[in-house]
Amino acid sequence: MGRKIKRYGAIVRLEHWMVALSGIMLIFTGLGCLPLFKRYYITELPGFKWTANFYTVTKLHYIFAIFFVFAVLFHIFYHGLRRDFSLLPKKGDFIASLKMILASFGLGKEPPADKWLPEQRWAYVGIGFTTLIVLLTGIIKVLKNLEWIYFGPKVESTINLLHTISGGLFILLFFIHIFFVLAVKSNWPLLKAMLTGYVDEEYVKHRHPLWYERLRKRLQ
Amino acid sequence: MNLSRRQFFKVLSGIAALALSPKDGLSYKGKFATLIDITRCDGCNDEPIPRCVKACREENKHRFPEPKKPIMPYWPRKTYEDWSDKRDKIDTLTPYNWLFIQKVEIEGKTLYIPRRCMHCDTPPCVKGCPFGALSKQPEGNTVIDHSICFGGAKCRDICPWHIPQRQAGVGIYLKLMPKFAGGGVMYKCDLCDARIKRGEEPACVIACRERLKDRTVYKFGHREEIYAEARRRAEKEGLYIYGDTQNGGTSTLYLSAISFEKIEAKLKELKARFQMPVKVRNLYKEEINPLGVAVLSAGAMGILTGVVGALAGKKQDDKEVL
Ligand code: SF4
Ligand code: SF4
Ligand code: SF4
Repeated sequence: MGRKIKRYGAIVRLEHWMVALSGIMLIFTGLGCLPLFKRYYITELPGFKWTANFYTVTKLHYIFAIFFVFAVLFHIFYHGLRRDFSLLPKKGDFIASLKMILASFGLGKEPPADKWLPEQRWAYVGIGFTTLIVLLTGIIKVLKNLEWIYFGPKVESTINLLHTISGGLFILLFFIHIFFVLAVKSNWPLLKAMLTGYVDEEYVKHRHPLWYERLRKRLQ
Repeated sequence: MNLSRRQFFKVLSGIAALALSPKDGLSYKGKFATLIDITRCDGCNDEPIPRCVKACREENKHRFPEPKKPIMPYWPRKTYEDWSDKRDKIDTLTPYNWLFIQKVEIEGKTLYIPRRCMHCDTPPCVKGCPFGALSKQPEGNTVIDHSICFGGAKCRDICPWHIPQRQAGVGIYLKLMPKFAGGGVMYKCDLCDARIKRGEEPACVIACRERLKDRTVYKFGHREEIYAEARRRAEKEGLYIYGDTQNGGTSTLYLSAISFEKIEAKLKELKARFQMPVKVRNLYKEEINPLGVAVLSAGAMGILTGVVGALAGKKQDDKEVL
């Protein structure tokens, strides 16, 4: 015990929290762009009166999108060019992640993992793909509102609808992600690592034996 | 993943270029516009129902909502919007009446103002619909697709004139979660989309001309001609124009001998359901779009810092430390 292992660098943590925080706000303001807040009395909660104004909510949605779009595109280009592809699924991840999920409910044992857990890689691809669609359709909506591009009514309608649907999927995946971080105790060190950057050596030894092996070899 | 750095870059820059290339010559300003000369409208006061209103109802009756009863309230609220028992109402906009004649008395004169959707150049209703049920057509009109509309009535909220009208108990929301989301379908004038796409004039335009001949109230035509005519007549006859600047411009121009400030004041005083504000800012154009430019710039910045960071930083960041 005692030794700390660096898991997430400053840049990764910054990306993650920028996406997470702007994402939460985009979810809230995005939902506010649907005609639901009034109906469900949210606009009547103290301090939430501003949510009744669609223009205000839309403006805030755009403001948070500034951070989100920056972080996501940075992420794609930075890691894409560095070829940091270890978070993309590998052969065998599918079965392994099923085992992982079962294990988190106390069924069976977790298979030995590398730095990334197999289900983390699948989650990354799922959230990543959804994010790409929300982001792209969102950017197209911005361009269309600016009238820098013009598609004609059919395509425009489809893109609006696609943004709403992929946004809904993003919300779903977002909550699944938060659920697995908070409800599964073995994931707590990862949350801490996302804040501090470090995990305990013990944790790595037990949960990421393959990663631990690599680390040890590199050091010797 | 065996993408080389070069391949990866190619793909992404291709997507970016595709998204960013502006398509010239395609503008939101539509082909057509309508002139509504309220100096000539007498509200068809010798007829049981104004001709234009009657023509509009006739033209669109096959598209009017036929709600299934009983209609569910908008849970958790106890209310719902139902006009199906008030189909005969012609003195306001309803899902069954997309055009009405607003009567106002100003300085001893009675004005009759045909009111319907303005068909804005930058329509908030279209931009704001989360389902893409509203669209701006190349002809300049905005159209609600009744088969996609959820009836959340956001379009009515963000329309400066609150034009679209809701009927509960119809539409796609009934097939999804009727209790929790959706409220029916929105209805409004679509500038007789089917007719103008066939090269015909809107029904109301024809109906009025049949009665008033060359003193007809409506004139439907090419946008530039309608705008030019309105401006020419305004200058020559000392008339006021409404609709050219409101909400960033529309495809509906009103001509009046009484200033629209006075009309606005009177309608305000009457607390009329449909107002005619003179100053209507287009918030998409003025406030939201500048933020849109910021979003796009942030995207460009993200790409730039990502590329620079990757080329400069190489592989230091993920060196795990023991
Ligand atoms: S616009 Fe024409 S048809 Fe309509 S009420 Fe006025 S005069 Fe009658
Ligand atoms: S008047 Fe209202 S409903 Fe008509 S196009 Fe403009 S914003 Fe949309
Ligand atoms: S243009 Fe057509 S839909 Fe619009 S008010 Fe006239 S008749 Fe009705």
